[in-house]
Amino acid sequence: MQRMVFQRILIGFVTLWVVSVLVFLMTNALPGDVAQIVLGQSATPESLAAYRAERGLDQPLLFQYFSWLGNMLTGDLGVSKAGGATISSLISGRLGNTMFLAALVALISVPLSVALGLLAAMYPGTWIDRTLTFGTLALISVPDFFIATFSVLFLAVYLGWLPAIANVAPENTFWEMARGIAMPLIVLVIVVAAQMIRMTRAGILNVMNSPYIEMAILKGVRRKRIILRHAFFNTIGPIVNVIALNLAYLVSGVVIVETIFSYPGLAKLMIDGVQTRDLPLVQACAMIFCGTYVILIILADVAAILANPRLRNPK
Amino acid sequence: MTGIKNNLPTVANLSGTDRETIETGLRRGANRREVMSWLIAAGASIAAAGSIVSTAQEALAATPKKGGRVKFASDLHGPSDTLDPGLNTSTIDYTRGRSFYNSLCQINDDLSTRPELAEEFSANSDNSEWTFKLRKDVKFHDGSPLTADDVIFSMSRHYGEKSTSTAKTLVADVKEWKKVDSHTVKAIMQGPNADLPVILGTPQFKIIKDGTTDFQTANGTGPFTLKEFSPGVRSIGVRNAHYWREGANVEEIEITAITDKVARTSALLSGDIDLMQALDPKAIRKVESTDGVGVWSVASGAYFGICAMTNTAPGNNPDFVKALQYIQRRKKIVKSVLKGQGTVGNDNPINIAYGADYCAGMVVKEHDLDKAKFHLKKSGITAAELNVAEVAPGLTDTCLLAQREAQKIGLDLQIKKVPNDGYWGAVWMKTPLNVVSWNMRPSANVMMNLAFAPDATWNDTLWKNERFGKLLVEVRGVTDASKRAEMYCEMQKMISEGTDEFPGSGMIIPAHRNYVDGKSDKVEGISRMPLGSLGGYEWPEFCWRTDA
Repeated sequence: MQRMVFQRILIGFVTLWVVSVLVFLMTNALPGDVAQIVLGQSATPESLAAYRAERGLDQPLLFQYFSWLGNMLTGDLGVSKAGGATISSLISGRLGNTMFLAALVALISVPLSVALGLLAAMYPGTWIDRTLTFGTLALISVPDFFIATFSVLFLAVYLGWLPAIANVAPENTFWEMARGIAMPLIVLVIVVAAQMIRMTRAGILNVMNSPYIEMAILKGVRRKRIILRHAFFNTIGPIVNVIALNLAYLVSGVVIVETIFSYPGLAKLMIDGVQTRDLPLVQACAMIFCGTYVILIILADVAAILANPRLRNPK
Repeated sequence: MTGIKNNLPTVANLSGTDRETIETGLRRGANRREVMSWLIAAGASIAAAGSIVSTAQEALAATPKKGGRVKFASDLHGPSDTLDPGLNTSTIDYTRGRSFYNSLCQINDDLSTRPELAEEFSANSDNSEWTFKLRKDVKFHDGSPLTADDVIFSMSRHYGEKSTSTAKTLVADVKEWKKVDSHTVKAIMQGPNADLPVILGTPQFKIIKDGTTDFQTANGTGPFTLKEFSPGVRSIGVRNAHYWREGANVEEIEITAITDKVARTSALLSGDIDLMQALDPKAIRKVESTDGVGVWSVASGAYFGICAMTNTAPGNNPDFVKALQYIQRRKKIVKSVLKGQGTVGNDNPINIAYGADYCAGMVVKEHDLDKAKFHLKKSGITAAELNVAEVAPGLTDTCLLAQREAQKIGLDLQIKKVPNDGYWGAVWMKTPLNVVSWNMRPSANVMMNLAFAPDATWNDTLWKNERFGKLLVEVRGVTDASKRAEMYCEMQKMISEGTDEFPGSGMIIPAHRNYVDGKSDKVEGISRMPLGSLGGYEWPEFCWRTDA
């Protein structure tokens, strides 16, 4: 088992390295460089050259890659090519905001969706199951920007209950903070929970068809006990993987929600970085996102291994 | 908050243009009865007209209240946000600049100038030497006094190969900035230039402390001191109690951006922000019909248009350009695409907003398919590809309209939509047919010098007309008003129409757009200076809250 876990971690590192090469090459392949974007319509060849020289953008690409990788490994994320602030200072606050929101969403949505998924699987075909299936399908089909815009129009503009933009600032009181973050929280919970509920339900019903469950039914075990005692643990593998993917999405993929609520998170910072061709910033964000994915997937794999006796004790 | 207004209309209910007509009328001394009679003639009931005039008079007569907090949302921010005036490129930067720094001269709503940090400025007889006398009571936020050295340092940053200033070309004709004494500086020009004061009133020429290299904070002389600066998040300024003028009316100012235009409008409607930049034309009706918020629209010389590069096909064929000009439905573009928030363009970058330098006698080209067909046939061109990015609101719709009209004369005008992102570096001035958007510049001469002079870096169409270039320089020294007008008129005709021998500039400019922004009715004191959003970013020092 230890060997398997070790292998996973090793593969994780290799993935990160490949990603670093891809991220570096692709960000450099974007049309226009930071000097052109920052100076914009008002660029002249002289001011472009001055800007590039000032920020080391005229060095060869390979040199730029290795110095970047080296700095990154020693924890130095570099300096923003656009504003001149250090990237770690730009990222730290944003990362905190993103993690805060993601953690809250996970705290609510994971127990909620596992419980609802179990509920639906326990009573398949009943009105509970049908309502949940219909509701989650409907919510999965509606894009998140629609849910977000709709809730702004309804809750903020029409009813005036919640602020239209997610105000989070250090000086906010707890109540202001809660009000500010309520709307993105609701939208994200809706978006990620729908998927997890369906996955939990499908996973359990899938296991319910296997011979050992049939055996348990023949023995006369109650359905509730079969699901909670036998089926659930065998579905942990796939469920944990779906949860991990959704959590990674919460860190990296919520750009639309962050944009609509003007929430100062990391994904939006990366988009701003792409728009200004601030490559070190984009690279740092991309590496953080990939790192999050890799770590979460490794954790999910390890959890799946631990939950599965056949993997836990290989012959 | 929302819902249709059902009480009597106030002046805030009117469209920006109508409101401006009434307020201008009142300012110029029209009495209550006269203004009411205009309104009644236009179909308003007596009660409605009375209500409108009363609220308009109140708005004009009200004295600013002190205190409160104003929150402004721009349309763009990010890691490139900067407190370095020389690197300023966006409205949010300019607004921050106005909050934390001052200029030598300040621009009035009619583009004349008034003293700011320079209590007095004057030129010698032929405008080739300008002298600025500085105020002696001005202190930077760190307590140090303003001296000539600070001005010399601030100006020197716009010169030299290492300068990354985004406005260096505007002052390139100043040969030397000379310190005369501790509070007097002199600008020695290469040639005459009457526009220097107004240029120095633009955002990049804010005065910073001598020797400043760190722009993570703002040590200026402005009406607010910096409390927080988080690039891509927000900036907060607190009223500067030791300001050299009367000082800001509001206690605190928050400057942020909401990039999504729907979200920005929602935030204004719900009262989360007080001022917003760049209201989408589609949202104008909604904002006008909602209680508590209104549209702030200022007519300006800003324009957008199609650039037909003159160095390559098809733009090097003057008949092709003429055909494109005659298919423009200019009035419809102003009415439908800009929702009335603009003025008709005549393929001329200069319009009435530039005042006396505008050539008013030129006949605006009408939509004329026969003429267009004639020119197209003469050019022999049947298909072309136009690269379009929505770099100004309404630009894509304008191009789609042109595409439809082009079909009618047998021109297959393909529209290729390209992203805004990277547009200026990769598409503009590089593809044969593309689009451009220009903000208004402080003077007609500066505008034409930037985008039409034969050696201009940003000459959109690479149009080269040597006589135009010569006139452009000569006119700066001309003090006789009628001679000056004649020269400006000739130049504008060269751009717009051209002659058989020297074709026009290849620019198709169907409309000039107003700056259309949104504001809460609770915030007053916003200027109407036409050089930028929300009255040319001049508002931070002068705005005030009615509920303070």
